[in-house]
Amino acid sequence: MTTADFEELYEHAPCGYFSTTPDGRFLRMNETFLAWSGYSRADLVGKRFPDLLDVGSRLFYETRYLPVLRLSGEAREIALTIRRSDGALLPVLVNSLLLPPGAPAEIRTAVFDATGRQDYERELLAARRNAEASELRVRVLQDASSAFSRAESEHELANELAASARHALDASQAAVLLLDENGALRPAGGDDPFAELRSELLRFPANDAVDSRGPILLSDLSQIQATYPALVGAMRDAHVEAICATPLLDQSGMALGAISCYFGRHRQFDPQNVELQAALARQAAEVLGRVRLEERLRRMALHDQLTGLANRQLLAERLGQALSSAERARTPIALIFLDVDGFKAVNDGLGHAVGDAVLREIADRLRTVVRGGDTIGRFGGDEFVVVCENADELAAHGIAQRISAAIRDPLPGVPSRFAVTASIGIAVHQPSGTEVTPEGLLITADAAMYLSKDSGKDRITAVAI
Amino acid sequence: MSATTDGFGIRSRNNVRESGSPDARPLVFVHGFGCSQEMWRDVAPAFETDHRVITFDQVGAGGSDLAAYDRGKYDSLHGYAADLLEILAELDLRDAVIVGHSVSAMTAVLAAGRDSSRIGALVLIGPSPHYLNEPGYTGGFSREDIDSLLDALDANYFGWSQSMAPVIMGTGNDIALQAELTDSFCTTDPDIARHFARVTFLSDNRRDLDRVTLPTLILQCKDDPIAPEAVGEYVHARIAGSALTVLDATGHCPHLSAPGLVVRELREFLR
Repeated sequence: MTTADFEELYEHAPCGYFSTTPDGRFLRMNETFLAWSGYSRADLVGKRFPDLLDVGSRLFYETRYLPVLRLSGEAREIALTIRRSDGALLPVLVNSLLLPPGAPAEIRTAVFDATGRQDYERELLAARRNAEASELRVRVLQDASSAFSRAESEHELANELAASARHALDASQAAVLLLDENGALRPAGGDDPFAELRSELLRFPANDAVDSRGPILLSDLSQIQATYPALVGAMRDAHVEAICATPLLDQSGMALGAISCYFGRHRQFDPQNVELQAALARQAAEVLGRVRLEERLRRMALHDQLTGLANRQLLAERLGQALSSAERARTPIALIFLDVDGFKAVNDGLGHAVGDAVLREIADRLRTVVRGGDTIGRFGGDEFVVVCENADELAAHGIAQRISAAIRDPLPGVPSRFAVTASIGIAVHQPSGTEVTPEGLLITADAAMYLSKDSGKDRITAVAI
Repeated sequence: MSATTDGFGIRSRNNVRESGSPDARPLVFVHGFGCSQEMWRDVAPAFETDHRVITFDQVGAGGSDLAAYDRGKYDSLHGYAADLLEILAELDLRDAVIVGHSVSAMTAVLAAGRDSSRIGALVLIGPSPHYLNEPGYTGGFSREDIDSLLDALDANYFGWSQSMAPVIMGTGNDIALQAELTDSFCTTDPDIARHFARVTFLSDNRRDLDRVTLPTLILQCKDDPIAPEAVGEYVHARIAGSALTVLDATGHCPHLSAPGLVVRELREFLR
């Protein structure tokens, strides 16, 4: 072949072909490339190849194409978009080679027209992304539905709701807040970066989501600044720049609480994501009704309905646990048994309604005089029991005295001729003592109570066991 | 919340590599968007004689643990900053010099703003706190430009799963495999690449700059289409006491295009 033949092959190859300096300045290029790009040779020589690219390709050229080329010596099948001299865009695929050390410092690049391929791929990609997005939404709702159905408590349910919403919205944190009986929002699950700050005085987006029964969307700090100026400092400290809060509504439309998602970056909320969060909130609200009912039933099964105190079953359970942990930790434990003196007279003389009110009042007074961790139970009729962990005889005596004093106080609705007092028995078990069963403790405390009763009522008898 | 990470977890999560002199002042190199720690190939080894040299992959890139990619956590640069602080603590580094490129220059700024107890100085290569133009601020790009980058990513990652399969399965022939593996230093899951691109180019961390009180060197290329000189000057003006050096290099990656210059400026700064 002659040189002219080679030249012809090069100039009119079915692909563009050019060489540049390592920083992309054009050295030589064939006719095909000139025809495709619409430039003349004089236009291009000295110009840089990246300057021909559209902005997206330029960014890709700098962040991906060049690093690959420099690290591995070649870059293959890189998709770029060239802006032609007439302004039209030409999608291309390029293969580039960085000549090895020893050869002239040069990059050689072959260019293929990819117009057809790109349109087709873009359509395919858009279709695939749509399909994936709707599949993701369905999966999020399905996963949430089964996770919610496994929840056994409000707290577990709240955690599951927070986790699903965080996942669905790519949020950095999510918190579930539920209304308490006083109408205040309390953190119930998830991660609430503002748990410590919440108070009656400070309004958060979740409060407004509950009050308006609709979503509150804050896309960036300037929106937060405009609506919740008092929160901006805390938001910055917690690296929160956007918030999406949705109420939890029951079937009648009453708000039960809210879910808040927090984002570390400003965010345009698309309607589909907001709807997804609302759908999760609806599912959770339905399950919340079921979980609350179950919790109530569980509570009823273990508590005395009149006074709300532990019933015999729960008492036995707590006493068993307390006794074994006392044995393990080698600490004393005391059981206080009390019988209300004069209760029968009140019940017979003033009626059952007053009798019930007296029992409820006594239960309330017991709650205020025992220590934080003590368990109070209603053993039967007018008999109550208090399990006091880590209490020796002296401590138990102190508690018993407070109980005596509390019960001796006048009772509302009970004339003073009805004397209501307590006969109290205490069984104290020291770690050095012989092993004892829950029944043993109960029998001992009961017997001590009878000693008090028999020796004139309204007094305390303690027995070590 | 995010996956729990013990010490081993952190090292493998971020594919942490250590070299150089264990007792010398540590240099931690943090790569930016688009590639992996391989980017430091021509710079980091120059410091092994008199520094403890640490490189690692951001989660989602290179040889990091892709399972650790929690989209909520990495939806802002704070997730990456938290990782950087964890790495400093895990290696028990003191007085470390963090060398961050591009978006990771801002990761370094965020980390230093949160807890600078283990950090002695910052080197920011081609930093930009915000890529979008705003009233009174020239970041260099419009929202449409960033969408155009996302399109470019799509065009390049279309066949990703198909072409990567033989590499992952180990069934490609050896020569091709070698090329592909080098290529894979800069390859990542297309969804992660898109997400990282959004986080990189749509974050606004301008107000985090003034929290930096450490000695800081800003290295700026003369002709950087991603972080223009005006942005370098903006960063310089916002970080009190920082030094700005304009490198006689083109492009966004001087550590690849002019590694000798970068080494020289780093040495000068470390003296």
